[in-house]
Amino acid sequence: MSSRLTSWYVFGFINIAILSLVACSGEKRPNADASAFRVALLTPGPISDQAWNATAYQGLERMRDSLGASISHIQTKTPAEFEENFRQYGAKGFDLVIGHGFEFQDAARRVGPQFPQTLFATTGGEGAGPNVVALSFAFDEPSYLAGMAAAAMTRTGVIGVIGGTELPPVKLGFEAFLAGARLVRPDIRLLTAYIGNWDDASAGKEQTLAQLSQKADVIYQNADAAGLGVFQAVRQAKGAWVIGSNADQNGLAPEVTLGSVLVDVPHAFLLLARQRQANTVQGPTLRFATASEVVRWVPNPTAPPLPEQVRAKMDSVRAEFAAGARPVLTPR
Amino acid sequence: MTEALLALWDGAFGSSYAIWSATLVRSAPLLLLGLGVALAFRAGVLNIGAEGQFLMGAISATAIAQSMGGTVPSIVMIPVMALVGALAGASWAGIAAWLRQRFGVLEVISTIMLNFIALASISWMVRGPLQEPTRIYPQSAEIPGPAQWPFLIPGQRLHLGFVIGLLACGIAWVVLTRTAIGFRIRAVGASPSAATSAGGIAVAGTVLRVFLVSGACAGLAGAAEVGGVTWALYEGISPGYGYTAIAVALLARLHPGWIIVSAIFFGALEAGASAMQRDAGIPSVVVQVIVALVILGVLAGSQRRVIAGAATLGAEGRR
Repeated sequence: MSSRLTSWYVFGFINIAILSLVACSGEKRPNADASAFRVALLTPGPISDQAWNATAYQGLERMRDSLGASISHIQTKTPAEFEENFRQYGAKGFDLVIGHGFEFQDAARRVGPQFPQTLFATTGGEGAGPNVVALSFAFDEPSYLAGMAAAAMTRTGVIGVIGGTELPPVKLGFEAFLAGARLVRPDIRLLTAYIGNWDDASAGKEQTLAQLSQKADVIYQNADAAGLGVFQAVRQAKGAWVIGSNADQNGLAPEVTLGSVLVDVPHAFLLLARQRQANTVQGPTLRFATASEVVRWVPNPTAPPLPEQVRAKMDSVRAEFAAGARPVLTPR
Repeated sequence: MTEALLALWDGAFGSSYAIWSATLVRSAPLLLLGLGVALAFRAGVLNIGAEGQFLMGAISATAIAQSMGGTVPSIVMIPVMALVGALAGASWAGIAAWLRQRFGVLEVISTIMLNFIALASISWMVRGPLQEPTRIYPQSAEIPGPAQWPFLIPGQRLHLGFVIGLLACGIAWVVLTRTAIGFRIRAVGASPSAATSAGGIAVAGTVLRVFLVSGACAGLAGAAEVGGVTWALYEGISPGYGYTAIAVALLARLHPGWIIVSAIFFGALEAGASAMQRDAGIPSVVVQVIVALVILGVLAGSQRRVIAGAATLGAEGRR
């Protein structure tokens, strides 16, 4: 009898907990106004990651604040969920639906034709058709500039790159980094390592220590949370430099950071939303490069200045990028 | 507040789309996986490797579909995919079964370790042998048209795999309760020593067979997910279905009939959880907590019945 009573208590407690949680979660009523410009964002991970997903959510918020858009966000894991949610947003008549990652491209391609009034955009991947577009960031351009800076700073002639996993944009950035470095110092040696995930900071630290022991003294990391381990290791080493990526990471370890390869995702989302509102979206791929200021090389202001002729060269290369006059890598 | 709970309901059962394209599509893999886990647990085999067996099924089904190409008709292609997926799942479970019988390795440990190996294998496959032709993205190419399993209702995403899951649960129910094989499984699960001495049952053989069937169910679920839903192999093909399946099996009290109810419940919960984020603007972390609390609530609720009916349940309700 008493155990029966206890289970009633448990049952009741859980119900109350659910109700209070729901009550406290502060609903934003995203669909309050059907005539408003409506934008949805699908992220592959939690928006609390202070990296990939967080910047996307900032972009969503910027669309709300700058354009008065009504916003909706969902965290999704599997391809099956991608497709289901694309359909749901399409059926509700959203104006713009962004899948934040190349992994959303197949789902967008499958769903897009059925909802022609909705623009489906994926960050990375490839677009298909008038309302299925891909956002592409010219991550290689600022990476190239970072490579030039690295080559100017290295004393040993050995530089390193450390990535999370071997994803296409990551690899492209590293190739551009090497090309930029070779422009300044043709005999440079590059060490490459992938951590295997995006969140294991201690593994990132280990890979960094391994590269430092092979005389690398400038390390370019692109590994999200795992990259924090790279900063730690470089901070402990003597006379080595680190280059951040995606966000402005110059403040993480200002005394050893050379600069950051910035991808301003919120700015890109805002540009995309403006294009959608004006109906000027030109698919299948929307490329955001140096000209749009979405991708930038951001030198750390407290780092020692680069040699004058390297800085001048970087400025002229940057100007060529902005004018679209210079391909970073020879097309394969 | 009511808006949030309404969104949960609407996302799960609020429209024909919610039922046929969200809830039941998510239930489909859970049916077969939950059944596999339940069968193993019934025989006293703690197979928590459904996740890995699922992934191996998905990999193998993709590989066979790609290698057979687009010229083989569906009528041949789909059974072959199902069979190959089931075989792959069974062999993956077979490793754990062999380790248990040859070296006495606890299957709780070996199956979970095999999950990690399967996860690493899929990462390798989508960057190596099965990578799409442009070699840019870590995923396979789309499987050819004849390998895409038919939808049950035009315009909805519910696919053949769901029916297979229902059939499998029905068959398992009959076998467990009406046949000598089923009796042996239950006897071995209840007490291996009693099964040997009083029943003259070959425990090792029964355990091995149940282990393999359990793995086959999971592998078949993997093939069905590739054939029916994703049409390609991705690293993130499973959000942890194999682990949810353990909850599905336990909530159903390891009864094949109740697996159907339990799998649909979990499918509905996940579909509703998406809708809470999407339509009510509730952050995903809060949604996860709510989902966990709902599961706890249902378990606590069903526990009352278990306690009340414990006397009558007897040997039926192991666990």
